[in-house]
Amino acid sequence: MPNVLTVRGLKKSYGQKTALAGIDFDVRAGEVFALIGPNGAGKTTTLRIIATLLTATEGEIRFLDRDHRKEPDFVREKISYLPDEAGAYKDMKGTDYLRFMAAFYAQTPEQEKEFVDRAVAIAARRESGEPSELADRLGTKVGTYSKGMIRKLLLARALMTKPVLAILDEPTSGLDVINGLEVREIIRRYVKEGTSVLLSSHNMLEIEYLSDRVALIDKGRILDAGTPAELKAKHSAQNLEEVFRSTL
Amino acid sequence: MKRFSNLLKKEIKELVTKQLIISLAFTILLFNFIGQVSKKEVQKAIGVQTISALDQDGSAGSQALLKGLESARFKILDQSGKTKDEALEAAKSGESKLLLVIPKGFGDSLTELKPSEIETYSFMRSFSLIGARGQVVVGGVISALNNVLSNNFLKDKLPEFDPQSLKNPIKSKDYVIVRDRMAEGSAGMVAGLISQQSLLIPVVLMMIVMYSSQMVISAVAMEKQNKTLETLLTVPIKRTSIITAKMLAAGLVGLISAAVYMFGFKGFVGGIGEEAARAGAQAGGAAVMRQLGLYFNTTGYVILGVSLFLAILVALALAMILGVLAEDFRSAQNMIMPLMFMVMIPYFISLFADINTVSLPIKIFILVIPFSHPFLVSQNLYLGNYGMIAGGLAYMLVVFVALTIFAARVFSSDKILTMKLRFGKKKSAVV
Repeated sequence: MPNVLTVRGLKKSYGQKTALAGIDFDVRAGEVFALIGPNGAGKTTTLRIIATLLTATEGEIRFLDRDHRKEPDFVREKISYLPDEAGAYKDMKGTDYLRFMAAFYAQTPEQEKEFVDRAVAIAARRESGEPSELADRLGTKVGTYSKGMIRKLLLARALMTKPVLAILDEPTSGLDVINGLEVREIIRRYVKEGTSVLLSSHNMLEIEYLSDRVALIDKGRILDAGTPAELKAKHSAQNLEEVFRSTL
Repeated sequence: MKRFSNLLKKEIKELVTKQLIISLAFTILLFNFIGQVSKKEVQKAIGVQTISALDQDGSAGSQALLKGLESARFKILDQSGKTKDEALEAAKSGESKLLLVIPKGFGDSLTELKPSEIETYSFMRSFSLIGARGQVVVGGVISALNNVLSNNFLKDKLPEFDPQSLKNPIKSKDYVIVRDRMAEGSAGMVAGLISQQSLLIPVVLMMIVMYSSQMVISAVAMEKQNKTLETLLTVPIKRTSIITAKMLAAGLVGLISAAVYMFGFKGFVGGIGEEAARAGAQAGGAAVMRQLGLYFNTTGYVILGVSLFLAILVALALAMILGVLAEDFRSAQNMIMPLMFMVMIPYFISLFADINTVSLPIKIFILVIPFSHPFLVSQNLYLGNYGMIAGGLAYMLVVFVALTIFAARVFSSDKILTMKLRFGKKKSAVV
């Protein structure tokens, strides 16, 4: 599989503080690549740099074989980013928010409708086809939504354009078990349809369920990377939690 | 363009809330209400006023005085036959603003050309200037009577002389010269009229700057507080478009809000101003101003408009940077203060000092503040200081471009997420 994203020697410093000390990884087409690590390890900084929010102090990033730093507009057309603890405009109705976001990506009114319809389908229906709790709430203001409902709306927004690369920071944070499971299924479905995913999470179960490959990151360095099976075998561990513990 | 209009629409919708519309409507109603109340008060003050008069003399002189007052639109309640205390009590309990007591011997003193005394007792039921107008008018009538009586005496004793020439041997004919134009009038009157003409400029500027800046700062701070900024910064729209959309929306809504407030303010001032003008306070003033060229032609208004517009742009660009520094909506409220001071400093200085005559360091200090220039435009237009006007406009344009470039750089860099200014806390950066 060709690489969607290639990261080499990525460094980031905030004054004297080093957030990333030089990391390398690739995200291949149609795979889920996960970054796992403790708080302050550099996961969010990495995702923010890839999402064009922060600029790297050093290193090279190539996205679809183009220079990420020189062509941020091209990158923004093709990616979507779901930040950790993100919000939506409280005074907008759910569908208006989706329409507002779709208008940035759509080239034609038909495409805009297609994006909104897809987002509504993600937000309002469960994978089983049953209506979700958002089904009859999309016409009401986002300010009245629960944290879980907002998260699902934002995930729908992130996936509605079928981005080349979806960057998801803690995609299931704030969701209950059922909704968390639902979101994981949605992500898997979109990966099957061709979207690549770069995600970070604290939830090892989630990582194991979702990820094709995993990178363990701590203090701005990647300690190890591979498929969950490879990592478990290498570290003689039963699960990723044990892998995580043994690498730290 | 479609992406920009999408964002602009969202920004405008966020700003034009029900609360804003209600607050604007309420302000118009309030200003108009105050204007109407003031109008009635002014009408009362310049209309027929009721005073009580106790004529203890009953002479031709005292009758002439009372007739003079009646012709000056006073309704006189005659308290004849009462003692002074009774008259005071009666006047106090009624609607009279003043009790005039003409003591016995008033007419005789006038005839004998001895100083005559009258007494006035003003009932101050409020401390408004309009409320004290009654006594001022009575004073005017007495002064006119004094003039007539002394003229009659002089004519009688020295018929070959003009009484006016005897009383005022030195006559002052005042002329005002502005640049190469001259008109008959006093410098005080001209200065007063110019200050009246320029009164609205600082008010308009302060209102627009206040509203627009507050909106921009809040718009950025709210994006941060609601955690929508990160998502917005990763959508395919140029950062300069994000800044422009926020500034344009705030500028438009700020302009409309200011226009609405000014409309209300006009209703408030109009209530008093129209009536005052009807009373003849400004008689002759307009002709003098026109003669001196101290009025705005179309070019003048255009220059003033451009100057105000540039000042608003500077305020918006500055507000954008302050908005980035604000951590949340609450800190955004504090961020507006430095901006307000920057607008108020030139306003207050222009009230008390002449910018052209202050010391060089103060002059530089004032001119460095971009918001000083709209204050100076009107007097520079009057005085023909076109170089100063052009310099001011160019300076504001340079400041606006520099601030916008800086704001665009901040928005295009990590600083948009890491710059913070906390009041009372240590400056910190987010990792």
